[in-house]
Order: sequence, then C-alpha cells, then structure tokens
Amino acid sequence: MSFLREAQICIANQTARKSLNAFIGLAGGPTILRKAEAADTQRDGGPLHGRLIAVKDNICTSDLPTTSASGILKTFTSPYDATVVKKIHHAGGIVAGKTNLDEFGMGSHSKCSYFGPVTQSNAEGAEALSAGGSSGGSAVAVATGQCWAALGTDTGGSVRLPAAYTGIVGFKPSYGLVSRWGVLAYANSLDTVGILVQSTQHAKVVFEAINGYDEQDPTSLLPSTRARISESLSQRRRNSSLRIGVPLEYNIAELSPQVRRAWTSALEFLRNQGHMIVPVSLPSTKRALSAYYVLAPAEASSNLAKYDGVRYGTRAEGPDGAEGVLFSKTRGEGFGDEVKRRILLGAYTLSAEAIDNYFIQAQKVRRLVQQDFDRVFSLANPLLDGGRTGRQDTDQAVDVLVCPTAPTLPPTLESLEKQSPVEAYVSDVFTVPASLAGLPAVSVPFKASQRGEGEGQEGNIGIQVIAQYGDDNLALDVARMIEETRRT
Amino acid sequence: MRSRCTDTLSSSLRARSPFVCRACLRQNSQKGQSLPLITYTSRRTLQTEVAPKVVPFRKQLKDEAKKKRLESVPKSSKKAKGSDPKLEKWELTVGIEIHAELNTAKKLFSSAATSSNDAPNTHVALFDVAFPGSQPHFQRGTLLPALRAAIALNCDIQRKSTFDRKHYFYQDQPAGYQITQYYEPFAKDGHLTLHSHDGIDPSDHPSIRIGIKQIQMEQDTAKTLQQPPSTHLLDFNRVSHPLIEIITLPHIHHPATAAACVRKIQSILGSVNAVTAGMEMGGLRADVNVSVRERHRADDARAGHSYYGVRGLGQRTEIKNLSSFKAVEDAVIAERDRQIEVLEAGGVIEGETRGWTLGSTQTRKLRGKEGEVDYRYMPDPDLGAVVVGEDLLHHLRNTLPMLPDETAETLVDDPGYGLTMKDAKTLVTLDDGDRLDYYLDVVQMLRQHMPEDLQSSSKIGKVAANWVLHELGGLLATAGQPWTANTVSSTALASILAHLLQRQITGRTAKQLLSTTFYGDTRSVQETIAEENLLLRPMAREEYEALARELIDANQDMVKAIKEKGQRGKVMWFVGQMVRNGEEGRVEAERAEEVVREMLDVKA
Repeated sequence: MSFLREAQICIANQTARKSLNAFIGLAGGPTILRKAEAADTQRDGGPLHGRLIAVKDNICTSDLPTTSASGILKTFTSPYDATVVKKIHHAGGIVAGKTNLDEFGMGSHSKCSYFGPVTQSNAEGAEALSAGGSSGGSAVAVATGQCWAALGTDTGGSVRLPAAYTGIVGFKPSYGLVSRWGVLAYANSLDTVGILVQSTQHAKVVFEAINGYDEQDPTSLLPSTRARISESLSQRRRNSSLRIGVPLEYNIAELSPQVRRAWTSALEFLRNQGHMIVPVSLPSTKRALSAYYVLAPAEASSNLAKYDGVRYGTRAEGPDGAEGVLFSKTRGEGFGDEVKRRILLGAYTLSAEAIDNYFIQAQKVRRLVQQDFDRVFSLANPLLDGGRTGRQDTDQAVDVLVCPTAPTLPPTLESLEKQSPVEAYVSDVFTVPASLAGLPAVSVPFKASQRGEGEGQEGNIGIQVIAQYGDDNLALDVARMIEETRRT
Repeated sequence: MRSRCTDTLSSSLRARSPFVCRACLRQNSQKGQSLPLITYTSRRTLQTEVAPKVVPFRKQLKDEAKKKRLESVPKSSKKAKGSDPKLEKWELTVGIEIHAELNTAKKLFSSAATSSNDAPNTHVALFDVAFPGSQPHFQRGTLLPALRAAIALNCDIQRKSTFDRKHYFYQDQPAGYQITQYYEPFAKDGHLTLHSHDGIDPSDHPSIRIGIKQIQMEQDTAKTLQQPPSTHLLDFNRVSHPLIEIITLPHIHHPATAAACVRKIQSILGSVNAVTAGMEMGGLRADVNVSVRERHRADDARAGHSYYGVRGLGQRTEIKNLSSFKAVEDAVIAERDRQIEVLEAGGVIEGETRGWTLGSTQTRKLRGKEGEVDYRYMPDPDLGAVVVGEDLLHHLRNTLPMLPDETAETLVDDPGYGLTMKDAKTLVTLDDGDRLDYYLDVVQMLRQHMPEDLQSSSKIGKVAANWVLHELGGLLATAGQPWTANTVSSTALASILAHLLQRQITGRTAKQLLSTTFYGDTRSVQETIAEENLLLRPMAREEYEALARELIDANQDMVKAIKEKGQRGKVMWFVGQMVRNGEEGRVEAERAEEVVREMLDVKA
C-alpha cells in the first residue's frame, strides 16, 4: 500500500472517529497528504518514512499548538520543537496531530481534559469505556487507525494503562534513553516519553528512531553510559530459555478474575514455549503507589508554578494581584480540578511541617522499590556502582517480570463518576513500581482463550513485561512472544 | 487597572524584536542546539495592586549623604553611645546574608550571556523565562568565580553539592521557584578576620573572627521596571545571572562591625575577581538578622534560640535588601534600639521580616511570621550533583590573587616597601585597588631608574607611598577630582621621585613639578626641569651657615624658646625659613636642619 493510501485511510478514520475526541489539534488533511505523496516519490527515507505519527499534546511542536489539555495553555504554541518531534521529522515521519490527554498528564482515564474526555469505541449500544490515561488520546488514535503510531508520556503508567485498555502495545523505555527536551514536565524524575503502537515490531522501529543522547536534556543518559550498557548486554550469555519472574505481591485481592486468568494463561503460554516461571517477591510493592502519589504531586506543584500567564499562556482578566495572592486568578481559572488537587497535595507534602513525614519518606520507599527490582533481576543495574548490591544468587534471579498492566478491565466512564479520586489512583498500582525505578516496561494485549461463567463484562487486557534498566530490547522481545498468542 | 496594549502598529513592531539574543542563539547553534527565535505575539504587561516604591540608586546616594550631613552636627550624642546604659544591659547579635553577582560570561543554567546594561530582554534563553518543556543546563564555568570566593573566605569546598528549588510566586521569578543550594551547598564552614583598620567597633579591637556558615550558588531574578500607575515591565536579562549567597554566623555584636564585615567581604570578592561590581553598583546586596539578649543571661546556653551551634540567642528579625554599608550600620542600630525598647516595655519580639528605607531612623515591618512564605524546598529533579575535583581546587588555590590583608601585610613586612599598616591598608582599599596598582608601578619604575646602591632601599617604598597617598591625594582632594591613573602618569611621578631621591631637585621643587603636571603641563619631567632650570645646584656648607646665622641673629626669642624652654620643634621653623629665604630650588631641607641643629647644639 502506498503511503498516500495509508494516510488517506488514517484521515478518513480521524473524521469518522472524531467523537472519540482523540485529538486536540490535527495537522490537517492537505498537509498530511502532500507529505505522504512526497514520501511515495522518494522511497529511501528514515525508519518512519511516510508514517503518520500522532504526538501527545504535552510534547512541544512549533507548527501546532501545545496545550497539555489545560485551559492555561489553550492557545499556546511553542516556539520550538521537542527533540523527539525533531527525531520523528528526521526519521521521515509525518506528525498527524496532537492527541488529547489528562491535563498535564494527571489522570488515569483521559477524562480530565480542558477539551473534553477521550472515550474508546465499544460495541454498539454498550456503555462508553475508559480509554485509560493519561495518554488516552494517543492510544485511541492508534487503536482506531487514525495514525500509524503515537508518542505518549508515562509518569506512573500513562502509556501502558491506555495501551492495555485499548488493546494495543504501549512501551515505556528506561528513564533517560529518550530526550525530554520539549516535553512539558509533570514529575520530571519519572516522566518518560513512551510509544503507542499496533505491534511490538512497530514499537522497536519507533524506539530506534527516538532513542538517543540529547545534550539539551540534563537527565539524558550519557553516550559513555549507553556504551557501557550495550557492552555488558552483549557479554550476557543469553539462553534460549528465559527465567520469567512472577511478582507474588501483584496478586492482590482487587485483581479482577478475568485479568488474573489472562495472567495465568500468559504464564502458561510462556512455560509451554520452554521458559521457566519463577515466583519472586517485591516486598515494597504495597508502599510504591503511596510513594508515587506523594512524589509525583510534589514535583508537579513545583513544575506547574511557572504557569502564571505573564510570559505566555492564558491570563485572567483584571489585576494579577487580585484577592491578595499574586496570579491566583489566572491559576484558579486556568487549571482543572485534578491538577489543582495534585498541586495542593504536592504543596502540602513539601511544606516545612510535612516534608519529613511525606516527601522524604516517599524518597526512601522509592529507593526500596529500586532495590527490590535489583534483587530479582539477573542483570546488574548498570547505574549502580558495582551493580551487584543485594542481588540474589543467579539461580534464583530472573530475566524479566511478567504481570498484569492494570488490575481490572477498562471501567465504564459512568462507573468512574462514582469513584473517589483516591480509588481512581488504584488503577496505577502495577505500573507505578517500574516508573519509580526507571525501568523499561511494555504492555502487550492479551486475549484470554476462554471466558469464565457469568463474566459478561468485556474489554481489553494488557500484560506487562518489566526488565532491568537498559534491558529494553529484552522486554520488547518477551512482549513479542506474548503477542504471538493473539495469532494462535 | 489592567491595560493590555492593543495599539496594533506599535505592538506588532514590538513583536518582531527578538526575544532571544542573537549572539546567545549563535552560541547555541554552534553547539548543535537549535533554538528558534522567540517572538512575542502580544505585549504583556504585569499589574499588581500596589506598586512597591523603588528609590533610584543616585537618589539613594544623595539621601545618604544628606542624612550624614545632618547627623554629623550632634556628633557628641553618637560618641556617647558607648556608655549607653541600655547597651550595657543588652547585647546585640547580628548575622549577615550577602548576595553577590558572580563575574561570569554565561547565566547559571543557560548559555545566554550575562549583561548589565544591554537593551532589555536581549539575553534570554528558553529556560531563563521558564518556557514549557525547557530544561536547565548548568554552566560549569560559573563555578570558577564561586570557588575562588569560597577559597578566599576559607571555606571547606564540598566535593559534591546539589541544587534545590525554593518556591514563591513573584513576577520577577519566571519558574515560580529560584534554583539555589539549600540542602547541600558547595562551600561550608569558612571565616574571615576583621582588624582594627577594617573599621570595626573599638570594643572588637584588635581583631574579630566572623564565621561563615555556608556559601551557595543560586539564580538572580528579573528586573522590574515601574510604569506608573500600575504597570510593571520586566527585563529578563538579569534572570538566572549566577549569584553566591554568603551566610555568616551570628558572631557580630556591633553595628560598625556589621558594616565592616560587608565591606571586607566585598573587598575580598573583588580582589579574587569573583564579582562584577560592588554594593554601590548593585552587585552586592545584604540581609541582616538582628537580635538582642540580656548580657547576664547570655551565658545560659540552654535558654533562648540557637543558630548553627550559636546558642542562647534572642528572637531575631530579618531586615532585607540593604544596598549600602551605611544602610547596614544604620538599619542594625535602628533595629537594635527598637528591640530593646520593645523588650524593656515588657513586650515580645516577633520573628518577622522588616524593611529599611534610606534616610529613615526606623525599620518597618514587611510581613510577620504568619505571612512568612514556606519555600517548600525540593531537590531539583533535572539537575545532577556538582562534583568538584581536587585537581581543580588545587589549581584555583595556586592561582588565587593575593587577598587585601595579605597584600597589606606584604607592604608592611617587606623591607622594600616598609609602610605603616595605615598607609598599606589605605593603598589596598582606595579606588578598588587601582591606587595600589599605581603605587606598585611607581615603585617598580623607581627601582629601575635608581643607581644600584639605592635600589633596595626601603626609602623608595615609603617615599612613593607618601607621594601617591598624601601629595597626589592632596591635589585630588583640593581639585575635587576622582582618582584616575592618568592625571599624573606613574612614569611622571616616578621621574619626579627619582630626581628627588637622588638629590637632583629639592622637595619643594618636586611638589611644584607634581602640581604643574597635575594641572595639565604636558612636558616631560625631564624637559620641565631643564627648561625651568630646576636642577639642584648644591650649596656649600658655608652658604648654609650664613643663611642660618642671619636667621638666628634676627630671632633670638625663638632660640631662647628652643634652648631654655626645650621647644625643640621650633628647629623646623628655622629650616622652613631657610628654604624660603634661600635661592629657589637650592636649599635642601635635610642639610639645612643638620646645620641649624649643629649651630644651636640641639640633637635630633
């Protein structure tokens, strides 16, 4: 199929699926078609040559507005392109548009957007389901053929969760591999640019196009460290039979029966392929979610302090110092409820009276979570000196961890209305640990082979593969094996 | 009221002016980074309810001078303060925080250039104005002046330091936080010593050591330009200019010592080339923490407040943003007196932030404890630790310029100079060190010009200092001119003094030569001496005796005063008269004195 034909189909889908609200801004049919046509005439482009790539709207583009789904940036256009956007252009990709999200990435269902919620299509007449969040727009755009691939951002699961809910592949690379220059910070010690695609093979293609050192991102992994990691990976004796870890703490009471069954089916499938299933313990898992919801809002309250309407962005009418507090009107009108909630939460946990009990404690938990992972992986953490701290004997260690991406099937939007904000946070319980540790993680769709009695509820299930830091390709390889089950 | 500019023509023109400096952009693109030009889509102005009053610096200086004149009248009351019974009961304690603009080419976290007088908003990178998605790039070069300052202040340089965010909302703070070093500053536990000649309070004589708790690197804020009634224009050139904040321990107990401490820190920072400008140019700003406590209770370490190991302190208040040495001294006096008054009336001192207006006699409350900002310090997640290697420190220590105290000591101890501490200190502090450079030039040239047997004489150093400070200084003072090294070139002065020291001209002639050169005579000293026939034609001993005899005979009452009343100083009267009565440029004072003493039989 020609690139032009592919683009035409995507544009047709964009029009037909407009009600799903996946996009905040579209590049526009004529622009895209002109580029696709040009791509057909000059065949030897980069790895993304002629492909339509959607970009989450918290990633800066200079030719389309970058709103981050916030009222405070509703008319903002960035003066520069993010490094990942430049890399897409460089690889021959065509930016299809900017996708909808939870405001500044804060949410798990893509319903907290200034531009309205994202929904995913469901069977005729059935209730609308959550697309997951915060990269719900990117996920729906890929799942419904409105683009070939999409970029998202993943702070605590924002790429993996929507991928699981919409039945596509979502990949969060190791923290520091993909540049964050031009990515609007939510919690910058966790924020990672991620990839939403139809298959693990596509994930690899996009990953290769955007992975790389960027001196503009001070947290970008240095070339010397990258070289050291690939050196140690190449020396690893790779057995055709892998040791697959099953974290026991992930088998929680809240796990829905369908998800639990999918998990066991996936493990059975892997065992039938000749791999060894190894139960492992990650004891800090229970505290990881709480730590995340202390750290991420703390960083958010700091990162979002810049939005005051003075230099850019939307500004409230009247004096800036109205009501006695500078910028309170602009910020009060510009931010949505969930953003305000997290800013308040973060401002509190950083306050002099609370920082020791919350922020400092949460940092300690984060360290414990990292140590948990380092203990179970056979590959040493390349970022640690010596790298061997606390690891189990090699015969107990595992190559990857396999677990569900989310504890339940995608909930209906209606059911979410009854949820408290804290209940909504629980959907991140399986994705947050890998984020805290900066590890690569892939969510891959899994169809359970049989359905249990009386389980009328339908929806997609994602299985998550987590690997040691820098072992991104192994995570994608194992995800690919699980992906195979869809074809059987 | 808000008045967004909608004048389409002017605002569209404005929109085209580059927001990011082209030179800064070039630096970026050379590094392979491409920053597009940011342009404004509309002019934004910022309004706040109340426009804080900002006094222009020149006016501030005038006000201070005026206040000083007024104060100088009842000087007696000032003198009496030492015996003030209140001060015998209450002890003052002061700690100082000094913010100094570092002398660096680039901003702290972007490759935009630093600047002081360039057109507004011409040196601004994306991160400096907190554009979404932009990230900090620590400029390693900014560490060098910071480290020099810390070494000069005897600090322990930390191998590893980190950056933290200090949060508060203000229009001059684009990110909503300032990046500083709160948890792990780069330098700790330093000190400086203040001596009598530094202008400390007499009760601190001969010297006092002030501890430095820490020095941290941080960002400066933007400049706000008032557009009355309620518009504030913002100039982001200064935003993120690297600063160091120096925090002293509360080791200061006198207002004069507080001012001397700030002055000395400025002088040290200047001598190691760490800062751009002094206090008078806004390169340095000070906050002072002031408390008082009853002396008889001061020994009870368990009572009261403590700060970094200093215990038994009274409740302190902070006076912010003092921009001259005088303001530091006056604000400390005013706040000390206010606190004593409150306490003696049975009141309680509140921990609060206070302000000081020049020319006033009282500090004023800015905000109370309830209004204190909780800065919510957080480690910056984007910035890694700064690690300083021992090799760098070694290099900086070895190449550190001599500090003012060391220079003064050398001028006193080195027999080639042999100055008094007073003259040495004056040379070091005058004109930002320019006077010292001039002096050293003169001495060096003199040594080259003099015959070998005189070259190492300490006379050269002393005479040169006397002429640079007192003779030339006197001319400057009389003419009301500021110092420049060109009024009388160091070559000219060296030439005059070379003639004098080799007894080729008299002291009187030398003074005349200096004066004519000072007032614009462009001839070389050699030429003038030749043309005016000023070269000394030495008089014979007999000629001196004749001159003296004449004066002695005519002034027997003076002789009597010397011989009978022992008024030996009157010998010099005769010497003066001999110089005056003798032939122009021929009488050498030293020889005249010798002869007079012999004739009157008065030993030197």
